[in-house]
Amino acid sequence: MTARVIGAYGADMDGMQHDGAGLRITGLSKRYGDVQAVDDVSLDVPRGGLIGFLGPNGAGKTTTMRSIVGMVRPDAGTLSWDGATIDDSVRTRVGYMPQERGLYARMKVREQVVYFGRLAGMSKTAAGERADHWLEQVGLTDRAESLVQELSGGNQQRVQLAVSLVHDPDLLVLDEPFAGLDPVAAETMRAIIAERAANGASVLFSSHQLDLVEGLCEQVVIVAAGRRIASGNITDLRSASPTRRLRVRWNEPSSGWEPLEGIVRSSDDTSAVVELAATADVGANIAHALARGSVAEISVEPPGLDEVFVELVSAAGAPTEAEVTA
Amino acid sequence: MIWTIAKRELATRGRSKGFLAITGVMFLGVIAVAIVMSLISGDDEAREVTIGLDGAGADYATFLEIGDDDLAPTTIVTDDGVAALEDGDIDVLFSGTTLTWEGFPDNTLDGYIRNVAQQVEFNNRANALDITSEEIGGLFSEVEIEEVRLDGGDDEFIVRVAAAGVAGLATFVLLQTWGSFMMMGVIEEKSSKVVEILLSHVRPATLLSGKLVGLGLLALAQMLIFVLGMVVGLALVEDIDIPSGVWGTVPILLITFILGFGFYATAFAAVGSMVSRIEDAQSAQLPVMLPLLAGYFIGATSFSAPENPAVTIGSFIPFTSPVLLPYRMAMTDMPTWQVAVSLLILAVSIVGMVRLAGRIYRYSLLRSGTRVTWREAIRNRNLAEL
Repeated sequence: MTARVIGAYGADMDGMQHDGAGLRITGLSKRYGDVQAVDDVSLDVPRGGLIGFLGPNGAGKTTTMRSIVGMVRPDAGTLSWDGATIDDSVRTRVGYMPQERGLYARMKVREQVVYFGRLAGMSKTAAGERADHWLEQVGLTDRAESLVQELSGGNQQRVQLAVSLVHDPDLLVLDEPFAGLDPVAAETMRAIIAERAANGASVLFSSHQLDLVEGLCEQVVIVAAGRRIASGNITDLRSASPTRRLRVRWNEPSSGWEPLEGIVRSSDDTSAVVELAATADVGANIAHALARGSVAEISVEPPGLDEVFVELVSAAGAPTEAEVTA
Repeated sequence: MIWTIAKRELATRGRSKGFLAITGVMFLGVIAVAIVMSLISGDDEAREVTIGLDGAGADYATFLEIGDDDLAPTTIVTDDGVAALEDGDIDVLFSGTTLTWEGFPDNTLDGYIRNVAQQVEFNNRANALDITSEEIGGLFSEVEIEEVRLDGGDDEFIVRVAAAGVAGLATFVLLQTWGSFMMMGVIEEKSSKVVEILLSHVRPATLLSGKLVGLGLLALAQMLIFVLGMVVGLALVEDIDIPSGVWGTVPILLITFILGFGFYATAFAAVGSMVSRIEDAQSAQLPVMLPLLAGYFIGATSFSAPENPAVTIGSFIPFTSPVLLPYRMAMTDMPTWQVAVSLLILAVSIVGMVRLAGRIYRYSLLRSGTRVTWREAIRNRNLAEL
């Protein structure tokens, strides 16, 4: 798959080419008062596509996702599904998991899943059958008759997932699906998301857990301050970074080592991580590190997705996640 | 889709212990009132009593068995009256000169026997004087005196007050109660964030309509109990001519209640959408509660002068007419055209209220955190999302 980069890297990029099947967002904009929440964002999620939607808080991810499910009326832009403008009939095929989870606390688990299936236009029988299926998938069959408020937080998240999936949607829009999940639940979530995509559904999910994103999908779209600043294949985005990471670990501890060039990102008595420009002389830098003493490990690699993310967001002039949450 | 949402409301509220308990109490209350009314109107059957007779008392048997509206006596001539009395075979023992009771005398029966004895003795004395019973009848024929009341009849007034009171109170209480339920339901959906999933499936107007239908049906069920009580109560009133306007109040009461529910429940829903926490609801609902309360108080303080301008004007203003229109209909002889105009105004106002409240609801539903102010909710029409 070809991937070129726009925004921070200057080049034009069309991340994911496809035949128009699936979700296509073109030129989406939305303003709230003085704040331009979303500014000319375009993205595609083909059938079977699994796209990570990344950006710092306030970047416009939630507004974009709400636009897809019809909860936000965009000021400009078009949203289409399989080539047709998204309207109420299409929305019954969308499964949405909002960032802020919500269920009726005093409603029984199965009853609730069936209810949302009915709201998505399913018959009573079909909703019941799919509710049973998905409760089994998320491992809650034995809690079907419990009130939601009697479940643990993790199990409530599982109900939430079942609610999003009960109508077997073709398009999954998941806002922070991994937030607050324990590792077991996160693995269930990961497996279900991957399975849906493998079966031809389009999946767009946002996450701040970039390690999870790297493990789950190959394609990402990064937004900051309402604008799309990058998109494409994760490996390509990393390679396109203007920096490299020199990681070195020595066998003998010592102190006071200085790199030949670049910025020390971290260091201790036996190791160092140095940020080099992509144009730096790798051989000279390695030789300089070898000169300190016996080396156990050494590598020069593109930065990880988390580092690329921070680079891109900083370059776009938006506050990074660390700054926002500090 | 609206019906799916309505059914959830019906199931959630209708199944709750609170609803069942209150409805049960209301139902029992209505039955109790009906029973009390039937006792007061006194159209029950004459009571069966047994009078034991001994000695000269036996001479009175034929006359005592005639009975009257209250009593249907049978008589037994007995040798051992005291034993019969103690065994409960007879209610009283009459010897012609003494009345013997087991305990405390039965006033009705006591008076009846004395009256019969008096008349029998009176006839005997008249016969002794050679006076015929016709002549006695002539002597004691009733002097007819017609009763004229300048106030036009207070009994009718009592019926009017009762009907107006029930209509006004029931409307006020039910609008207030179910309005609050509506508000609480909206707050629950907003504060639990479930609203965001709901709105990914249905439009806000659909969601609101479903809630209106569901809660409206439950409220109407309770209103029908009140109306049933009112109809039964009125039907049991025998001696008073019920003004036709009072009967006319019954169907109008149902219509104003349905319209009033649409009007007020929508407003309460808007209030609910503006707050994220139950604690903020009290103050936020004030602008909606006050006019409803005002209507109730105008009615409650106007029983002695129902023609006053506050009632008249209030019966046309949509904020107060749900309470004051049925009230005024029951209390006064309201012209039909005025009833029609009032209903028309209310119906038209619902359209306006649904549009306004709908806009507030749409705008506020996804706003979390701080309370949305009235000014902000009403003004920011451009920001309405859905």
